[in-house]
Parts: sequence; structure tokens; C-alpha cells
Amino acid sequence: MSQSNQINVSKNTVPILAIVALAVVFAVGLFLVGFDQGHVFSIAFGEQAFEDSYIHELTHDMRHAAGFPCH
Amino acid sequence: MKTFLFLTIVLISGALAGFVHGSSNLILVEPYLDEAIGIENQQLFASGEEDDTLEFWVEYEAYRTWQKGGQILAGVVLGTSTGALFGIVFVLSRHSLPGNNDVKKALILAGIMWVIIYFIPFLKYPANPPTVGEAETVVLRGILYLSFIAISGFAAVGFYKLSKIFKGKKKLVALIGYAVFISAVFVAMPENPDEITAPMDLVNGFRIMSLIAVSTYWIAIGLILGLLWYHFKPNKEVTSFN
Repeated sequence: MSQSNQINVSKNTVPILAIVALAVVFAVGLFLVGFDQGHVFSIAFGEQAFEDSYIHELTHDMRHAAGFPCH
Repeated sequence: MKTFLFLTIVLISGALAGFVHGSSNLILVEPYLDEAIGIENQQLFASGEEDDTLEFWVEYEAYRTWQKGGQILAGVVLGTSTGALFGIVFVLSRHSLPGNNDVKKALILAGIMWVIIYFIPFLKYPANPPTVGEAETVVLRGILYLSFIAISGFAAVGFYKLSKIFKGKKKLVALIGYAVFISAVFVAMPENPDEITAPMDLVNGFRIMSLIAVSTYWIAIGLILGLLWYHFKPNKEVTSFN
């Protein structure tokens, strides 16, 4: 009669792909909230995006409150 | 390592902590933001750029309500973003962190990161309310602030690596080394180029509330990620054998 056993193994290997994915999330999120002045939407809407600065206006209060430079 | 579980825990922790941060801002920081924007409005009326009319205030109230909603959304985005960095550092340093469980380890790391990438940069370039800050200098100020955070963060990693060479009390040499280095950077980096013209009571009150609200984020991320890690153990894999 066969018997199956299970053990919990703690592995130290950190998946590189997960680290890269998190690094991208970090960079994109930080730029959106902290530094975008219309850059992201300018890809689709051109110069008008810098005038509207939609993301800047939407994140305006958090930008000030979190210590990022603002106008 | 269960990769999907690890990513899920990190992103959910960051988003929830960001929600806590955004909510804290609504309670603590918004009154100061409203007061500062009120000063800006008076300046607009005085300069003739805007008229003090009912239409102005209806539009203004709708706009501010939209921006306050954005505060929560931005909190979740920024929280997820900063949480991603926290997750990277936690998974890479977990075995070196003091503490006998994952909650304590995560809270200790949150405290360390709060000091290195938030509090020390805050001392050099403190948060400012609207009315402080010229539009022409926003890029320069952004570069200065981000550079200081990056220098502080990479210096901390560098001196931590250095500390591994030493044993016992000699490890303190690395800590002192970081303190000396960041003090030199603190003095060498240019000051914020903008003059503060707003009332200092408003500016100081805003800075204190901003500091408290950001601190709630770091406590929340340490607590939530630590609890989720402790409960779900993404680093453990079940191996079957006969």
C-alpha cells in the first residue's frame, strides 16, 4: 500500500519576473501620481494634454499631501 | 516561491494601505489644502483673473469634489506603486530582518523605509500646500526631490551591503557611514528654489498633517503585508513525496 506525504518547503528563490513586474508597477505609479504633467495623455492627445494636465489635476491633492513638488 | 500569490499579496497590501493614506489625507490634510486654495482664489479675484461670482463658486465646488475623489484614487495608485517597492525589498531582505514573525519583520522594514526614502527627504524638501511653489520650477523641484530619495535609498543599500563585511558591534560603522554620507548630501543638495509667501501657520500645519498621513501609509503597508504573508506564506511550497 502506497502512502503519500506532504511537507512544506521554504524556498529562498525569488522569481526575477515578479521583481521586474513590481519594479514596473513602482515606476509607472510613481510617475503618474508624482510627476506627470500631461506626458501620458500626450501620447494620444498631443500638445493639448499638457494644457489640460488631466492626471496632474486628478492627483493634485495627493501630490501635495505626499510631498511631491507641485505648482 | 508562489509567484502569483506573492504578487497578489504585495499589490493588495499596497492598494489597501494607499486607500488608508488617501482617507487619512481627506481627514487630516484636506482642510489645509482648502485653506491654501482659498488664498489662491482671493489672489485670482484681486488680480482680476477671475470674478467672485456664484458661477465661479459652483464650478469651483464641483472641481474640488472631483479632486477630492482623485485623492482616494491617487492614494490607491501611489500606495500600490510604493507597495511594489516595499514588496521587492521585503522579499529580498526578509531573512535578514529582525523579528520572530513576518508581521514584525514587515513593520520593522516599513519603519526603516519610512526613515530612508520618506522622512530624511522630507526634512530636506518638506511638503508644501498650494500657493507655495512656482510652475516654472516644478521640474527642477521634482528632479531634486527624486534625486535625494534615490541617493538616500541606494546609499542605505550600499552601506547595508558594507555592514555584512563587519561582525558584531563593528556593523555600527555602516550605520554611522550612512549617517555621515546622507548628512553631507543633505548639506550639498540645493535648497527648494521657491520662496514661501503663504502664512507659516498654514504651511507648518499642512506639513505636520502630511507627515502623519504618510506615516499611516507606512504603518498600514507593514501591518497588512506582514499579516497576509504570515497567513498565506507565499514563500512556502508544498512538496509531495511517496
